[in-house]
Amino acid sequence: MKTKLLTAFLTLAASTALFAADSPAVGSNAPDFSLTDSKGNTQSVSQYKGKYVVLEWFNPGCPFVQKHYGSGNMQKLQQEFTGKGVVWLTIDSSAPGLEGYLTAEQANAKMAEWKTRQTALVLDPDGKAGRSYGAKNTPHMFVINPEGKIVYEGAIDSKATPNPSDIANSTNYVKVALDESLSGKTVTNANTKPYGCSVKYK
Amino acid sequence: MVSNAMRRQQRAALAIGALLLAAPFWSASGQTYQGRELVQATLVADVSAVVPGKKFTAGLLLHMVPNWHTYWKFPGDAGIPTELNWKLPEGWKVAEIQWPIPLKLNEPGDIQIYGYHDEVLLLQEMTPPASLSGSTVQLVAEASWLVCEKICIPGSANLKLELPVAAQNSGANDEIFSRYRRRLPQSWPETNVARANWQRNASELQLTVESAALANYPAADFFPVPEPSVVVGHPKAERTGAKITFRIPIETADKNLSALNGIVVFGSDEGGADRNAWSLNAPTISAVAPVMPEAFWKYLLFGFIGGFILNLMPCVLPVISLKIFGFIQHAGQDRRRILRSGLAFVAGIFAWFIGLALLLIGLKSAGREITWAFQFTNPYFVVAMSAVVLVFALNLFGVFEISLPQFANRGLLGWTAKEGDAGSFFQGVFATVLATPCTAPFLGTALGFAFTQSGWTILLMFLAIAAGMAFPYFLLSAQPAWLRLLPKPGPWMVRVKQLMGFLLLATLLFLLAVIGAERGVEAIIWSSCFFLALSLACWMKGAFVVPTASVTARLVSVMLILVLVLGGGWYFIGQKFAAAKTVSAETAAHGDWQLFTPQLLESELKEGHAIFVDFTAAWCLTCKFNEANVLEATAVRDAFQRRGVTKIKADWTNADPAITKILKQFGRPGVPMYVLYPGNHAEPILFPEVLTQSYVLEKLETVSAQVAAQ
Repeated sequence: MKTKLLTAFLTLAASTALFAADSPAVGSNAPDFSLTDSKGNTQSVSQYKGKYVVLEWFNPGCPFVQKHYGSGNMQKLQQEFTGKGVVWLTIDSSAPGLEGYLTAEQANAKMAEWKTRQTALVLDPDGKAGRSYGAKNTPHMFVINPEGKIVYEGAIDSKATPNPSDIANSTNYVKVALDESLSGKTVTNANTKPYGCSVKYK
Repeated sequence: MVSNAMRRQQRAALAIGALLLAAPFWSASGQTYQGRELVQATLVADVSAVVPGKKFTAGLLLHMVPNWHTYWKFPGDAGIPTELNWKLPEGWKVAEIQWPIPLKLNEPGDIQIYGYHDEVLLLQEMTPPASLSGSTVQLVAEASWLVCEKICIPGSANLKLELPVAAQNSGANDEIFSRYRRRLPQSWPETNVARANWQRNASELQLTVESAALANYPAADFFPVPEPSVVVGHPKAERTGAKITFRIPIETADKNLSALNGIVVFGSDEGGADRNAWSLNAPTISAVAPVMPEAFWKYLLFGFIGGFILNLMPCVLPVISLKIFGFIQHAGQDRRRILRSGLAFVAGIFAWFIGLALLLIGLKSAGREITWAFQFTNPYFVVAMSAVVLVFALNLFGVFEISLPQFANRGLLGWTAKEGDAGSFFQGVFATVLATPCTAPFLGTALGFAFTQSGWTILLMFLAIAAGMAFPYFLLSAQPAWLRLLPKPGPWMVRVKQLMGFLLLATLLFLLAVIGAERGVEAIIWSSCFFLALSLACWMKGAFVVPTASVTARLVSVMLILVLVLGGGWYFIGQKFAAAKTVSAETAAHGDWQLFTPQLLESELKEGHAIFVDFTAAWCLTCKFNEANVLEATAVRDAFQRRGVTKIKADWTNADPAITKILKQFGRPGVPMYVLYPGNHAEPILFPEVLTQSYVLEKLETVSAQVAAQ
């Protein structure tokens, strides 16, 4: 009797995840997309099944993005985790004519200028991928596990400021989430409030 | 809309121009981007001069170019709030920023933000020290903001507010201060104007606002101000007449979150200048994080342990002894019979808890404020309980015996006293009813968790408590061998029975004290009259309704008994008791304690005083114990006094809704609850439900010396 009720409760608790609005809930399947990156290759989430995938929403004109690239913080993270076999997709969902929109050439130039270390910079000028993930900020971070489930969604770190000097004193949620995931633990802080500029959708 | 904004902006520009000319003592700073000045920041004051010790309001005036916006304290999906860091001279104090009602702005991609266009004044109350040297004061602050249009640009400025020091002052910058004061959210109105109720449904928080006043406004919205660790989705509003329901998705996995801070905004149109807002939750009180649940099973375990401990509570002990006593009597009998009677008793415990859970779920979904032991706040319930206790006691004294099975079905009288399965069942119910006001230590946390949860969780929680309470009886009835450890039956049993009767009378005294606290001395007298009639009826039952008496005598006696019980009940309770007035809190003596009002707590908190609040009720034995042995102990009283702690007594005897609200904010379903605010706006400390002197003294050490010196 008691175990039955307990099962009923647990089912109930699990199903609550389905009601979460906006971004797909942590624990749910990561939406797939098929987009071209700055090098002309097709990129999707599904092609990396079996690997951890990081999605990073990007807008080079945004001061919050500049905070993490100007300080080298983002490049360091990209280098560390791509070195551990994690796929890192940077996604630019800015619409043409709006801040942060990049053509393939401009994107490659920016990557060279900033010495970025991601797997690929994916171009999403229609904002399809951005909207399906409910990406609202730059940077807005997602971590997807090898089974294709979202295990982290939210901010890059704990200090919501545009000030690079705050990076040293903040907790990098993405690093923590990846470290925990890679050592087989569940992510303790799986959902945080992202901060930054709004994504410049059409 | 655009022309409106333009006009506002022109007006603002004029105001700034006027300020520049009128007051030479402040400086402005601009944020330039590609040759354009995007934001102009200025510090202003609402006084012409600083009078030592006299409060005034300072403000950060931000003036944005058209179409650019800065952010509210909760920025929404993107952006960051404006910050103002004062570097004040020694002795100055500054209160929190008061934020005018923001606009809700939508951007492509379902991005919703809260901010200000054109111009905003962020107000802050300043308290200068009682003595000031020099003829002017210079107050410096670093302001930082994010200003966005299509793009976002952070800005910051080092600002200075220079004011003369004088013995008297007059108002300054009246126009702009009064304009923005009108745009500040107001505190939540009285419950007859608007009632707010929170409900958690799975991953969604539901705020229901019932207000006839709001029905006149076409635009109504809820702007949340979640804690940093909480991620919320976009609130959606549904209106049905005078009722508005806001559904707010909660994206973080915080299952215990039961309410949010925020403001309810209303006006003739969204973003209109005539908008008003009510703020929900006093910021000082709601800063408290609720008790976080870690794992559900852990709370079920707490419920089980709490249920077990209920057996040891003074209010339930007499009934429990009865049951043990019953076991002893049955010890020599058939094992199956013992098991059946034990199971019936256990079933009674479960029945009461399931009934209580269903009632709570029903009331909760009906939108009532529900807390543990709430039934004891109803005086009629207490009278009924007292009557049952008295009848039980008389039965134990041997005034009457219940032996006729057909009579057993006619009333509680027969039910509880009847030997056998039905009797055991109702003994179980009775024991549990008596146990509810004793919020045992573990039970508090467990129920606090449950009350913020779904109906299923509440039911499971109550089942766990019932299982805990029933556990020892189940063991004894399933393992009658252990009963042999209990003493053999004999004539001593009659004496013990009578002794138990006195224990029950002691319980009756306690219940009478509760009645007195709720309704006054008159109520005690009238209910006692009814109890006398009831006692007489019991005596008649014992003396004349016996098998040896003639049928006529028995019939007449039964008639007389009915007249006594029903007539006495109608006259003493229905007429006289009902007319006895509720004791207003003021009439009760409270020594050096101040009586709780939300205003008192709020103002004391604003002052940064150290405060101790005793949440208590007349019917709460644990509260009385703590008060007598700990809070009123000389060492503790002295420590309170030495540290200058304001002592507030929140009396929940009559279920004051303002107190209920605070109990809920701390995630507690009932009293006792003890909260120490250490002063200087530090986080409050929640004490356990059973206090010790050393614990309280140790916690009082945290009250800073600075506060104590005040």
